[in-house]
Amino acid sequence: MARLPGMIARRVLEERELRRLSRMRLRDTGHGYDPLGLSPDWVAMASGLFRPLYERYFRVVSQGAENIPAEGAAILAANHSGMLPIDGVMIYMDVLRKTHPPRVLRVVGDLFIPRLPFISTFFARTGVVAGSRGNFRHLLVEGELLLVFPEGTPGIGKGYRRRYELQRFRVGHAELAIRHRVPVVPVAVIGAEEVLMQIARVEAKLFGIPYLPIPLLPFPLPARIHLRYGEPMHLYEGTKPEDADDPVLLEAAAARVKEAVGALLEQGLAEREGVFK
Amino acid sequence: MSGVLVTGATTPLGLALIEGLLAEPELLPILALGVEPESSLPRLPPSDRLHYRQVDLTRARAVRALLYGEAKELGIHAIAHCARHRRAGDRGRRVYALNVECTRQLLHLAERHPSIRRFVLRSTADVYRVAADQPVLIDEQHPIRISTRMPQWLRDRVEADLLVSTAVGQSPLSIGVLRFAELFAPESGSQLFDFLRPGVCFRPLGYDPMLHVLSLRDAVRALILALRSDAHGIFNIPGRDILPLSACIRLAGRREIVLPGPLLSPIYGLRRFALRAQFSYGMNEGRFHFSGVLDGSRAAEELGFRPRFYANFDEARAG
Repeated sequence: MARLPGMIARRVLEERELRRLSRMRLRDTGHGYDPLGLSPDWVAMASGLFRPLYERYFRVVSQGAENIPAEGAAILAANHSGMLPIDGVMIYMDVLRKTHPPRVLRVVGDLFIPRLPFISTFFARTGVVAGSRGNFRHLLVEGELLLVFPEGTPGIGKGYRRRYELQRFRVGHAELAIRHRVPVVPVAVIGAEEVLMQIARVEAKLFGIPYLPIPLLPFPLPARIHLRYGEPMHLYEGTKPEDADDPVLLEAAAARVKEAVGALLEQGLAEREGVFK
Repeated sequence: MSGVLVTGATTPLGLALIEGLLAEPELLPILALGVEPESSLPRLPPSDRLHYRQVDLTRARAVRALLYGEAKELGIHAIAHCARHRRAGDRGRRVYALNVECTRQLLHLAERHPSIRRFVLRSTADVYRVAADQPVLIDEQHPIRISTRMPQWLRDRVEADLLVSTAVGQSPLSIGVLRFAELFAPESGSQLFDFLRPGVCFRPLGYDPMLHVLSLRDAVRALILALRSDAHGIFNIPGRDILPLSACIRLAGRREIVLPGPLLSPIYGLRRFALRAQFSYGMNEGRFHFSGVLDGSRAAEELGFRPRFYANFDEARAG
């Protein structure tokens, strides 16, 4: 069972891509995992399994990938949409493919994720972490590249009618960016809103999930997903690490990130020729 | 470093610690305390520096007499308190007396003692709450596991740990509380070790959390470094092994069967009842679902401790 991810990766990826992925940075604790459970074999397997979705189904196009730092800690902050975290998967794939040596994006998810059977293990092995402050801090100290959705669950669950309306940005990412002196890269995802259109939601507390979304269609639509990476924002400039405790400063910093993501979204939506193009 | 008093001297950790302390050239006498008679302890290394005394640590008067008698004469400077009840199934006043009352007594006696200046408690990471909403990396400020429904084995460990931790900074002693990752060694009270004893291990379906395992050699190194140091406070003592539960099972050469979590408690309850086994699924449910690994940066910075040795999973196979 332990060898299965590696075997799948070797079946679905060509030798050159496997070699490229083998150059990914891993803080191996001696058993092939990093302390949070990331495994290169699982990352390679996920890369192979999601590739058809990335290349053929959602036909992802990205701009500004040169803004992703090649090394060192950084936070990618994106808008969240589409009922299921397909946006997160596509950014993960895009970063893995556009960075050399490949960087594994540590996607910061909701706190209910570790409760989900199977998914929790898959997520942990591929680099997703629950969004507790301790995990976040550890990854930044280790120089990792993080992806956060500052809107949180309200972003993904806002429903189709309110598509591309940015929800309130939480301030956690701004706080840690200021405290740890790391850049924030704004990211806009265009197209994920149309992939799965949520028409209703059922309040439920299964495994800590806040609600069950009801989609219009039982399968995701093959809308083209556009990713736009903005220029890194140095929120920490002109501040001291201890300023990260100032709530007014944090709200202002988070608002700046929201504004940057909003501008990228507007630009992307204006340039988009159609949902499937 | 001068004289050291070691409690729990007849446990695998105690014996390994004594061997480690005897290898320290600048060390003065070692006063080793255990409940067994010396004649039944062939593993104790012969040395003029080693003084073994059979003492029941739950007898307050005997402990007092020893501390203010022989320990004073030997000029004991530090206490490494490693004694605690190891069988998870046992409970009652005598168990509590060893786990908690004896710790309280030793600490109070040491505070008034003319030569003792350092108190090191061997504690455990079992005191931490491992849950979905908690960070995977556990630092010393991590929430403590407190519940009225906890078995005595855990409750005592939490109480003893907090008893000593709250004395840090208030006591005239310099105190170090070492919260060990799972000490993987036979007869050490390791729940994981007992879990891996049978040929087939059941783990919860859909979950494969990261665990932190500490080798006996690293545990001894950490204790010796803490005894040498004057650093106050709580220190996580991580192990070299950070690995998923499934990898532990594989390294121990066991077969794994994954079952829905709710079935595991009755299965392991039955095993405890029928075989007098020590592993309790209920006690480990949190860390068998959610990852929890120790952040040892404080021990690295202040004690100079970094884990070096992998745990010997073959021992579980042999056991």
